Amino acid sequence: MALLELQNVSRRFGGLSAVDNLSFSVAPGEILGLIGPNGAGKTTVFNLITGFIPPSGGDIRFDGKPIAGLKPHAVARRGVARTFQIVKPFPHLSTLENVVLAALVRNASRAEAVAEAERTLELVGLSNRLHTPAADLTYANQKRMEIARALATAPKLLLLDEPMGGLNSHEVDGACVLVERIRASGVTIVLVEHVMKAIMRISHRIVVMNQGQKIAEGTPAQIVQNDAVIAAYFGKRRA
Amino acid sequence: MQTFFQSLVSGILTGSLYAMIGVGLTIIFGVMRIINVAHGEMVMLGMFGAYWSYTLWHIDPFVSALLWVPLMFLAGLLIYRYLLKPIVTGDELNSLLYTAGLSLLIANLALFAWTGDYRTLNLPYAIEPLRPFGITVPTPLAIAFGMAAIITSGLYWFLNRTDTGRAVRAASQDREAAALMGINVDRINMITFGLGTALAAAAGVLLVPSLYLFPSVGEILLVKCFVIVVLGGLGSVPGAIAGGLLLGLVESFGAVYISVAYKDAIGFVIFLSVLLFRPQGLFGAGRA
Amino acid sequence: MKRAIPVLAVVLLFAAPLVVKNPFFLDLGIVVLMWATLGIAWNLLGGYAGQVSFGHAAFYGVGAYATMILYLRLGIAPWYGIVLGGLIGALISVPIGYLCFRLRGPYFSLATLAVAEIMRLVATNWDSLTAGPMGLLITHLPPVNFFGTPINWERKEPFFYLMAVIAVATVLAALYLTRSRLGAYLAAIRENEDAAESIGIDTTRAKVVTLAVSAFFTATAGGFYALYYRYLDPDAVFPISLSIETVFIAVVGGLGTVAGPILGAVFLTTFAELFREHFAAGHLIFYGLCMMLVIRFLPDGIWGRAARWLARRKEKAHGAA
Repeated sequence: MALLELQNVSRRFGGLSAVDNLSFSVAPGEILGLIGPNGAGKTTVFNLITGFIPPSGGDIRFDGKPIAGLKPHAVARRGVARTFQIVKPFPHLSTLENVVLAALVRNASRAEAVAEAERTLELVGLSNRLHTPAADLTYANQKRMEIARALATAPKLLLLDEPMGGLNSHEVDGACVLVERIRASGVTIVLVEHVMKAIMRISHRIVVMNQGQKIAEGTPAQIVQNDAVIAAYFGKRRA
Repeated sequence: MQTFFQSLVSGILTGSLYAMIGVGLTIIFGVMRIINVAHGEMVMLGMFGAYWSYTLWHIDPFVSALLWVPLMFLAGLLIYRYLLKPIVTGDELNSLLYTAGLSLLIANLALFAWTGDYRTLNLPYAIEPLRPFGITVPTPLAIAFGMAAIITSGLYWFLNRTDTGRAVRAASQDREAAALMGINVDRINMITFGLGTALAAAAGVLLVPSLYLFPSVGEILLVKCFVIVVLGGLGSVPGAIAGGLLLGLVESFGAVYISVAYKDAIGFVIFLSVLLFRPQGLFGAGRA
Repeated sequence: MKRAIPVLAVVLLFAAPLVVKNPFFLDLGIVVLMWATLGIAWNLLGGYAGQVSFGHAAFYGVGAYATMILYLRLGIAPWYGIVLGGLIGALISVPIGYLCFRLRGPYFSLATLAVAEIMRLVATNWDSLTAGPMGLLITHLPPVNFFGTPINWERKEPFFYLMAVIAVATVLAALYLTRSRLGAYLAAIRENEDAAESIGIDTTRAKVVTLAVSAFFTATAGGFYALYYRYLDPDAVFPISLSIETVFIAVVGGLGTVAGPILGAVFLTTFAELFREHFAAGHLIFYGLCMMLVIRFLPDGIWGRAARWLARRKEKAHGAA
């Protein structure tokens, strides 16, 4: 059974359809890539799934149960965690404290929360920055911290919104390794990304969006050959 | 029917002056993202200016506008340059608190200098109201409306036909883009604040023959101003004009058809409702 | 050693009336304690949760009127009325919170201002309940004993002790709340509300609970006002200036610390009383100026700045050692 299922999901803003009749599902344990040109609606999809905006129509099911219209904290408590396209740290708190807060939601005692936070920060490679105020971290490290924070909520599904944005080639490789490690630990992942090399390398399947609609779905190999996808990215003349 | 038209006219006349105050506040917010809590005090200073120039030098308040409006424009420039500029880049809430401090400072300096006595300005030609079509229109209010219309048209011309005015509109829509286009945003901030202050003071000068004058009159007007600006959409000039007229009408009709006592409360309820259900303003023109 | 200081302070506080007999100073002390209570209560929402309310007078006024009306109409003694008034204040804060928390930042602040003003207008116009602008008056208080000794309400001391108890209770509640799980959640909300939601924190509920606690103590202070001054009218207990001065006390003293507002209250109120001798409303000029200076130069408030300075001195001491 699919872990996450979207059926005919739409979101309109006035006359504009940011997301139009979108359907796809995510199987447990897979890494699903969500790609598309800018303005395709990808972050809107994340916001719809995580409850930051309610859908105008359609169904969203997580673990078989409907979650459309739930508030973000309720969705998070069911096991869906996310990172943001533009990083949202708790700037004046330390890196450790940022993640401890997330762990506190799941753990009764502060000691357990701290242990959990240290574990996830080690996973993302930030053990040497525990006491740095989050605002003082480098951009790449802030992104990692946000991933650790999301992981500290012990999610079943992790939505990563452009985690590689702004990273150099070497950092992108490191990020890919990290994402695969997270998946190996049992977390299903949906990844919005523009860095093609990363998406192609780590996704099991890819969904392509353009102007709010799904235009293609398949394995990376299939997507690369797909006419509609090529047209969306490069224009019709190339195809 | 007579009552209806009377209320309508009263509402529009008062509303036009509210609108002018509201426009001043909204352009300051639009360009600098500052909610100027001291705006009401600028109206109050305009009122006192006109009052003193009439009482001491017998200058008709409407004529004294020629003196006070440019003076307050200058004052606005100076206030921006020396008091506001350091905090304009900060957090919106901080600037709210800062201008709240400024508001308290100015209002209480005025209280100290001029005492809290209620004053009125009784113009000799104000005793007989105008009576067009059987509707009573107090003469000073009619003159105020006329001048407000002229000033607002002048503002419209400025914003749409001059380069500086267009720069103000650009900065109001997107500060960074404006800066990238070569607009000196700091200079525009200064001019906008001067303009907003001048508009407030102008409204004060025009209103003084029609309202009671006391140092804390700014507080009451400010609250109405918030209502107007939120109704019209924060940052929108046409919105503020519409909002001002609307509030004038609501108060006027509310006083007659609902109750004098609760007419202020109506404004607040509308304010809350708009904030909650339509934060972009009734006309959708504002920035939330 | 550090723990001893607050305990010592409380002891000194309660011992003060035994030493200080001058009613002027006792009254000053009462006023300082009142503002400290208001500041600390406000700060829970404003400094810790980051939601700056300009409408706390709403709860103060409700507490004051509730205490008055419960006594004058239902004969409930004011010392119970104060607590009941507090509860009523907390109760009405819930729908107000759910309404206003749909907004953020300065829009939230303006909404709270509107709510307080609406309450003031309701109090002014609902004659049958509140006697409108005429106000309500307590002509005499019921006799009451404190462990066998009758309390003499003509003297300042009983009021001082009562206000001190309220103030200390507020401090204790604030300390407890800020160190609890809720306190941690509030820090997250203040730092970034969206992120806080995304990790599973019910931000609305956290804010509403915090507001209810804040409103309880604010309303309790209002109830004390009714008992101490024995007369109130809508402009005395619902004015915008009260809300704004509360904000000032917390901001000038230091947002986000429990002790900050205490310092703010001492600092601002003492100067206000001094100024009042010479300039009628001069203290507000001082408030306005202080506010501007603090925002410009000391965004952490006086306490915050002092705390940072102390921390840096400690660092240097350790560095040298």
